[in-house]
Amino acid sequence: MRKPAYGVLALFPSADALLKAIPKVKARGYAQLEAYTPYPVHGLDAALGLPESKLGVLVFLMAAFGAVGVFAFEWWANAVNYPLLTGGKNAFTWPAWIPPTLEGSIFLGTFTAALAMLFIFNGLPFFGHPLLQTKTIDEITRDRFALLIVPSGAAFDEADAAAALRAAGGAAVETLPAPSHETPDAAWWTRTALAIAAACAVAGGATAFAIRVFPTVKPMVNMEVQPRLDAQEPDSFFANGRGMRLPPAGTVPRGGTPILAASLDAAGRELIDPLPVTEFVLERGRRQFDRHCAVCHDRLGTGRASLSSVYTAKPADLQSSTMRKIADGSLYWVISQGYNTMPAYAADVSPDDRWAIVRYIRALQRSQDAPERDLK
Amino acid sequence: MSSLPESLREKPLVEGRVSLADLDEHVQSLSETNPPRSWYVAVSITSLVALVGLSTVGYMVSHGIGTMGNNEPVVWGFPIVNFVFWVGIGHAGTLISVILLLYRQRWRNAISRTAEAVTVFAFICAMMFPAIHIGRPWMPHWLLPYPNSRGMWIDFRSPLIWDVFAVFTYFGVSILFWYMGLIPDLASLRGRTKSKVKRAVYGLLSWGWVGDARHWLQYEKAYLILAGLTTTLALSVHSIVSMDFAASILPGWHMTIFPPYFVVGAAFSGFAGVVIVFAFVRTTMKLEGYITMRHMDLLNKMVLFLSCVMTYAYIMEGFTAWYSSNVFDRYIFANYVFGDQWWAGCLTIFCNCVLPQLLWFPKMRRSVPAMVTVAAGVTLGMWFERYTILILSLHRGYLPATWGTFRPTIVDAGILVGSIGIFLTLLLLFLKNMPIIAAWEVKPDIVHYQKDAEVEHA
Repeated sequence: MRKPAYGVLALFPSADALLKAIPKVKARGYAQLEAYTPYPVHGLDAALGLPESKLGVLVFLMAAFGAVGVFAFEWWANAVNYPLLTGGKNAFTWPAWIPPTLEGSIFLGTFTAALAMLFIFNGLPFFGHPLLQTKTIDEITRDRFALLIVPSGAAFDEADAAAALRAAGGAAVETLPAPSHETPDAAWWTRTALAIAAACAVAGGATAFAIRVFPTVKPMVNMEVQPRLDAQEPDSFFANGRGMRLPPAGTVPRGGTPILAASLDAAGRELIDPLPVTEFVLERGRRQFDRHCAVCHDRLGTGRASLSSVYTAKPADLQSSTMRKIADGSLYWVISQGYNTMPAYAADVSPDDRWAIVRYIRALQRSQDAPERDLK
Repeated sequence: MSSLPESLREKPLVEGRVSLADLDEHVQSLSETNPPRSWYVAVSITSLVALVGLSTVGYMVSHGIGTMGNNEPVVWGFPIVNFVFWVGIGHAGTLISVILLLYRQRWRNAISRTAEAVTVFAFICAMMFPAIHIGRPWMPHWLLPYPNSRGMWIDFRSPLIWDVFAVFTYFGVSILFWYMGLIPDLASLRGRTKSKVKRAVYGLLSWGWVGDARHWLQYEKAYLILAGLTTTLALSVHSIVSMDFAASILPGWHMTIFPPYFVVGAAFSGFAGVVIVFAFVRTTMKLEGYITMRHMDLLNKMVLFLSCVMTYAYIMEGFTAWYSSNVFDRYIFANYVFGDQWWAGCLTIFCNCVLPQLLWFPKMRRSVPAMVTVAAGVTLGMWFERYTILILSLHRGYLPATWGTFRPTIVDAGILVGSIGIFLTLLLLFLKNMPIIAAWEVKPDIVHYQKDAEVEHA
């Protein structure tokens, strides 16, 4: 069986001619008509009996959703999730949230209006439209006005429809074939899937570049390069070639305690752990160790934490026999002064916390390879 | 129609007898043919200027904000002056295409497309400035609320954040409105072009538009809704920009008149910008039949009207400062016109209040050299208005010990001139490649006025 035609089309030279032709064609019993025009012709909707657009309802709903959504987000972000308190006032500062609420509402409303009009209400894109396969469409988008009789019922007679259009003043009458609705085959799905995968790969690569590589490319080094001397940098200004000045002899940092021991061994002999033996001290030591030391020395002190792989000099294994034998005072001295590539922690960790760390290292050492009597 | 006396008869907005196909032939053939040599010369010059500007931006980014004149106490220097200036230029497109649409002003039809393009390109220039003046321009996403490992959110109470939302929304909606208006014209271009590739591209971009009456019904509805919603946007965006200033406590900024005053100023500078663009476009592209002297006359009337509102706003601002009896406010306003940079304030008043009064004379409104002079004066005046408000307020704060003087650098100048180059380059590319008159809006006008003419001839 031959597919029924999409319709019979005729061209009119002006909008007026088209509007006059519609009642004539309708009078011959053709109720289902479509019109194609180069610009919106007012009066066509009434002549064709088109229903009012429902677009406004959808836009109103989306705009309202945008307003409520943005306002609720502002409230959640600034008053609940991360409360920003100003001048001791209530965090629910609704008047200040109105401008973004307005913008959110308009944004969603306008984009809904345009996109829903195109893609929902008008059913675009419809590249399979039979008009697009003809030369006639080029005239319609320029200056011709087309009327189309849609076939209704089995008794549709193309010749009669064409005659009706001609009688109403239509020219260049033609029959449009039915649009070809091909169901997509396996090859189409493969192509689509590949295209989506390629798009994802490109987007992913671009994102990785944008957040990982791009910020590290010069000159985007986040103010790393500045016309000033960093700590320990050499400089020719002073005779000794150092950028930093040495503090006068006997200088004591505010709030700090000087380490009086002269060397690692001396510290082991002279420094004495001042802390009492309590659970609190061990707990404090654990928290300080996990915060400052574990990133390199591992949480068990093995020296094999994830970061250790990037160092050429490996962090010390605190479970080694050397470290088990070393004196408490020497451990304290290393934490305070640094050793080899390990930096000093005197500025970051208070003396009591350093001793607590030493105490915790001892506990860690005892917890690993524990002798049998400790397990009883 | 013919019974009306001559003076009451509506002057046609389309001159000469043209058909619908003639319009397409005039306007849409531009994208099919090679432009004259002068276009190439113009676009080479503007893109060179744009390139110089972008290189200056690159220099500024790699060497730091310190290469610009921004410093204590004038921490917002040229970048924010330029930002407010360009956002203002962008407002005319929206007012012409949206508010005049709601008022059913037919004369907007022929000029709306290019005015909307001016909006979009001015916004591209405007958005560049906040992006580069934040110091680390590769981190503009910090302006947006996104989930992050710091667990923090932006402060929605800050006028600067309102500004981000307002400008992004305005930019997005301007592009949307512009593109939506282009769809039927792209369908028309699809029918004209001889090239298969172009036909496919135009076909895709117009989503297979066929001009179905049912589609037009929804389309016009969407257009009207968009116009209504965008009107609130056009009025709110520069209001919000003004709150960047008005919500602070600085003398000269802390004024309740700021939001409406900024909106009028934006429209004023925008209309002036559009007058300049059309004065050149209509003659160089031979579009005098569609963008007639009557269009230019109406645009100039808008400039004149807005100049009067602007003058009123200046007087009101000064009156507020005087009536408040606040020593600092009074001092700041005196400083605008009598201070060490008195020329900025005086230039503002001359260009925005005095010069446009020429447009009371119909002859001036219809003379291209006169209107371009006035419009160029207004554009300059509005730039200096922002300079006055921003810099002359900032450099005299409440604490005289922190007073200073702003000195722009060559980097400031390079970026400002570069932004003009970017704007003009984009505009020239648009004029060459896109349908610069909204054919589907002007075609009914052609029919309308031809009908009148036929009645008169009969």
